[in-house]
Amino acid sequence: MEHTVDLDEVDEEANTIVASPERTGFLPIVTNWFDRIFVGIYLFVALELLWMRFLEQSIPLVACHVLAVALGVLIVWKG
Amino acid sequence: MLAPTIAILGIFGIVPFLYVLYVAFHQWNPFGANPYMIYNGAGNFRRLVFDSEFLTSIAFTLKFAFFAVFSEVILGYLLAQLFMREFPGRAFFRTIHTLPLIVAPIVVGSVWRLMTTPSIGIIPYLLKSWFGYDLNIGRDATMAFALTVIMDIWHWTPLVTLTLLAALVSLPKEPFEQAQIDGANRWQIFWHVTLPMIRPAILATVFIRLMDALRTVDEVWMLTGGGPGAATRYLGLHIWKIVFPKTDYGYGSATSIIVLYLTLVMCWLLYVALVARRGQRRTP
Repeated sequence: MEHTVDLDEVDEEANTIVASPERTGFLPIVTNWFDRIFVGIYLFVALELLWMRFLEQSIPLVACHVLAVALGVLIVWKG
Repeated sequence: MLAPTIAILGIFGIVPFLYVLYVAFHQWNPFGANPYMIYNGAGNFRRLVFDSEFLTSIAFTLKFAFFAVFSEVILGYLLAQLFMREFPGRAFFRTIHTLPLIVAPIVVGSVWRLMTTPSIGIIPYLLKSWFGYDLNIGRDATMAFALTVIMDIWHWTPLVTLTLLAALVSLPKEPFEQAQIDGANRWQIFWHVTLPMIRPAILATVFIRLMDALRTVDEVWMLTGGGPGAATRYLGLHIWKIVFPKTDYGYGSATSIIVLYLTLVMCWLLYVALVARRGQRRTP
């Protein structure tokens, strides 16, 4: 019995496997989960530093922690 | 198969990083009144965002990195194009133009210091006798800054040239022949054919040079010592002064972490701007 392989089907399957971790969310780039964690950490640090510089005298840093973590989760989830 | 690599990366990369991160959250001056580590939370970072010397040195470093890297890429590309052409002594010039690369940065700094010291240096002497200009980098902040940039360009342009030369040599001839048949001029060939094809090499070179420029210490230390005033006190030098003469390890670690953070952010932004825009697949 002759066994044939459909090369187009194999290519399509391979592309699906490679492409699956990447997707587009509200961030203006194609990202995978690691990119989104990375962006989340960048923004977390930036927000903390800016908060300490400009807002900590009036609003405690805990508020920034909550905001930064929420933003991080949003980016990882929907970014 | 990967275990040795992971072990080496862990021992020499990740463990020191985690240790610096740990120290950054402590107050630690082993030669101070209290030589023990004291946890102070985000205290070092809080001190950092109000430290005018640190903020000034960020601005100077960014200015230095921009001028140095931009000039090196332009000059490096022009030299690479020159070395692609046939001319007498090409092999000789290709070899000697790489000589600055094999000189240690501290030696480069020493040599440039000797060349720019008033009364004994050749550069102030020539500037004085040819143009009547009195060069003194101990007094003139603008000239001190410019000389650090020129020294960096002199030292690192050959690296850019080599990288771009390798990229240009490896390009196939067919797209260029096709563009010429289609009637494209030299500028159009450069903009639409050469530049897109060597973009990965340019990007890699810019990343390497940018990271290097943001942590430059020894050359500048030898040439200007960070002066006059704080005109050339770049981030690497700023950290060195905190960690070694002042032995303030906690604050120095916090500063190092922020410099690492800035470097990563800048490289990532550059990468996003030039490569990973929406709709484009990322290269692995």
